Amino acid sequence: MLKKEIIYRNPLVNLGYEHEDILSNGGLGAVLAHAGVGKTALLVQVALNMMIREKSVLHLSLQDAVKKVDLWYHELFHNIAANFSEAEIQEYWDKIQPYRFIMTFRVESFNVATMEERLTDLMQQNIFKPHTVIIDGIKFDEAGRGQLVLLKELAKKYAMRIWFTVHAHRHESPAENGLPVSFLHVADLFDVIVQLEAKGDEVYIKSLKGKPSGTKPHTLLLDPATMLIKDSQVGS
Amino acid sequence: MKIDDEKIRNIGISAHIDSGKTTLTERILFYTKRIHAIHDVKGKDGVGATMDSMELEKERGITIASAATYCEWKNYEINIIDTPGHVDFTIEVERSLRVLDGAILVLCAVGGVQSQSITVDLQMKRYKVPCIAFINKCDRSGANPFRVISQLRSKLGHNAVAMQIPIGLETEAEGVVDLVSMKALYFDGDNGETVRAEEIPANLLEEAKAKREELIDAASLFSDELTEAILEEKEIPPDLLYSAIRKGTLKREITPVYMGSAYKNKAIQPLLDGVSYLLPCPSEVENVALDMGKNEEPVTLDNDPEKPIVALAFKLEDGKYGQLTYIRVYQGTVAKGSTIVNVRSGKKVKVGRVVRMHADQMEDVEYLRSGYIGALFGIECSSGDTFVSPGINLTMTSMYVPNPVISLAIEPKDNKSQIAMAKALNRFSKEDPTFKTFVDPETNETIIEGMGELHLDIYVERMRREYGAEVTTGNPRVAYRETITLRADFNYTHKKQTGGAGQFGRIAGYIEPVSDAEFVFENKIFGGAIPTQYIPACEKGFKQSMQKGPKLEFPITGVKVVINDGAYHAVDSSDMAFQAAARGAFKEAYLRAKPVIHEPIMKVVIETPPEFQGPVMGLLNQRRGMIVGSQDEGIMCVIESQVPLAEMFGFSTVLRSSTQGKAQFTMEFAHYRQVPQSIAEKIALEVAQNKKSAA
Repeated sequence: MLKKEIIYRNPLVNLGYEHEDILSNGGLGAVLAHAGVGKTALLVQVALNMMIREKSVLHLSLQDAVKKVDLWYHELFHNIAANFSEAEIQEYWDKIQPYRFIMTFRVESFNVATMEERLTDLMQQNIFKPHTVIIDGIKFDEAGRGQLVLLKELAKKYAMRIWFTVHAHRHESPAENGLPVSFLHVADLFDVIVQLEAKGDEVYIKSLKGKPSGTKPHTLLLDPATMLIKDSQVGS
Repeated sequence: MKIDDEKIRNIGISAHIDSGKTTLTERILFYTKRIHAIHDVKGKDGVGATMDSMELEKERGITIASAATYCEWKNYEINIIDTPGHVDFTIEVERSLRVLDGAILVLCAVGGVQSQSITVDLQMKRYKVPCIAFINKCDRSGANPFRVISQLRSKLGHNAVAMQIPIGLETEAEGVVDLVSMKALYFDGDNGETVRAEEIPANLLEEAKAKREELIDAASLFSDELTEAILEEKEIPPDLLYSAIRKGTLKREITPVYMGSAYKNKAIQPLLDGVSYLLPCPSEVENVALDMGKNEEPVTLDNDPEKPIVALAFKLEDGKYGQLTYIRVYQGTVAKGSTIVNVRSGKKVKVGRVVRMHADQMEDVEYLRSGYIGALFGIECSSGDTFVSPGINLTMTSMYVPNPVISLAIEPKDNKSQIAMAKALNRFSKEDPTFKTFVDPETNETIIEGMGELHLDIYVERMRREYGAEVTTGNPRVAYRETITLRADFNYTHKKQTGGAGQFGRIAGYIEPVSDAEFVFENKIFGGAIPTQYIPACEKGFKQSMQKGPKLEFPITGVKVVINDGAYHAVDSSDMAFQAAARGAFKEAYLRAKPVIHEPIMKVVIETPPEFQGPVMGLLNQRRGMIVGSQDEGIMCVIESQVPLAEMFGFSTVLRSSTQGKAQFTMEFAHYRQVPQSIAEKIALEVAQNKKSAA
């Protein structure tokens, strides 16, 4: 039941990305938004969707401590499961938690070689083999194209898909296609790009790239308090 | 009458193990002239640091029990509780924090904010203890106090501000620049006892000015007067700056950071100034007691020596002259010859000797006024007991005491040891509420229970050394629990007719899992199928069944029992018969309710150099550990995991050998979780074997 609820509320599936994994092996995805709009919360929902399908997620944060990242998962999971008993929530959480591994780096010490070294440490000992990686906190204006190309190669090599949070600056007006100018130089490396936008008290999620043509809406409304899809829009 | 307690400080020194807090205390006692020579913790002179009064602590180089002492610094009376750093002994830390008004959080300039510092900080938050930080070991290679300050901010969420900047680091550590007086301080003499204030060296002047700006900026939030002075670009007098920082410190909204090296005798005196100027006096801290007569209604105590006595016994020690009880007086005056009442037992006692402690030496005093910490002789009590004046019925808020997670069977080697062991166990269980002991009625073994392997290990050694009790120990046993996962019905009739009065009782209903309670009993019988007078007997019978699972014999938790039908006999039914019926009903339903075993899961945090990250994760993985995450901290990496306690025995040795002794870990109880099927089978097999061998 809880599994159904999480799938049912998956914002990306509701937006029309119907393939379960959304990204294929070696694929890169990005969630764009201004600071504080909910990029991490959206990607944690993507991660929870993977975890319930017993697919491992490596959450790599360059800004928060392990404890804080863990808190994100707990909060969102509890929000989604609000209608279930505490015992059910705990039992289900215990079941899916092993499918998540949090790794944090300092921005200055992060590089693809170190990440690969840590990954092989985990994979060689059969501790953890990620199916999806979430990288939160890379600065796209500073991280050159080179680093992303290496990450794309890494994703292909280990049959993973990588999601990124992309911080769009408020002072920067977007290009014609809606992408931040500072992101244009790497946009072609991404298979899927979605944008979060705060308008007044509401947060909209919009597909900018990679959405298959279909009947689903291009824009969905999220509840800014929980960052879940508003009830009226679920399954619409 | 209010006493002038402005110059009293009750402080604790809390920190991660090995960050040098015992050495720091030793230096404080030296500079305040309480001791006349310095002995290091692992010193070559074999004397050991003064605060490590137990022989075992001296040998291991760690502090186990808090020793209380008092000293004077520039007319301030400072009571210091030295607290242990290992997580196994956190009850000691918690007790100390309960009675303190302020604390020094000691951090290592190389290791920074380590896992234990996080635990200790959480405890300080729980008891709202204002603190100042001291970054020790600035003379060590790799020392970087500003990295530690940024960790204080990012990891512990403190608004940490430097009160000083170092003059040289590592082998070149010479002294500090005081950012309040803007003077360079050097520490001369054999033991750094002479403080020499000079002009700030030219190469540090710019940095000092910038850091002073930061300090003033942070402090200005707490003082309009200071903000005004800044706006008017006036000279800021030290008193004004101290008073603003103090306000922030007392609210726990700012953490002033001092730095130095206790071992090299650098910058301890300015830290003592910090304790005096910035930490609270007893009347600035609100202490709340519970009124037993008014349904435990909270009562705020008044730090007034004339009012009735309220004092808390926070630590017991067995000394040469009998039991020594450490107390903190919150209200009133405990004087020699006065009568006090132990609220828990209701016993009246006359106060004999009143002393002030200086590690294991003592000094007789006439009385202890409110706000003071001292010790009483010859008072029979347990730690955590409250003492009051006759006629008062207040108790200090009870302290959080976790349940033990590990047990060990111990057996005395001979008769003499048996007597000594009994004495020791009686003493330890009184001193430490997390240490428990009982005799297993089936095996007749003496069992001790505690919070971790090292916790029990230390007590077994203390038994040998302090009481001469030679004991052999069995393998440590994990406190498993059983619970059910399904609802199951029962309909059980207990019937016995063996001549004379018979026994009859029928109970029907169901049991089901419940997550937020250990045991729930609900009576849904209508129409008197079981008469009301027998219902408590039914409940008692079910409760008895919870003590031991029918198969594996672990305690059962998380069960709701609902009874909805039954039958009785006018002559043969009795309390006994219904208790037996309840036990039978429980047994009947229990196995159908799909019982499972739960085991204690520990939160294990390991700090290791990054090059050993892979092997360390491997070790955790081998132990059924679930790694929550790994955190890159520059020179160290922190791995957070959850590991079953059963897999953690001997872990410290394995960790040491896999990391060339460079990694360290802390462990604390997190929660209970169901054991996997394969392990449950193993446990069942072990239990069966144990039973066989016991028979």
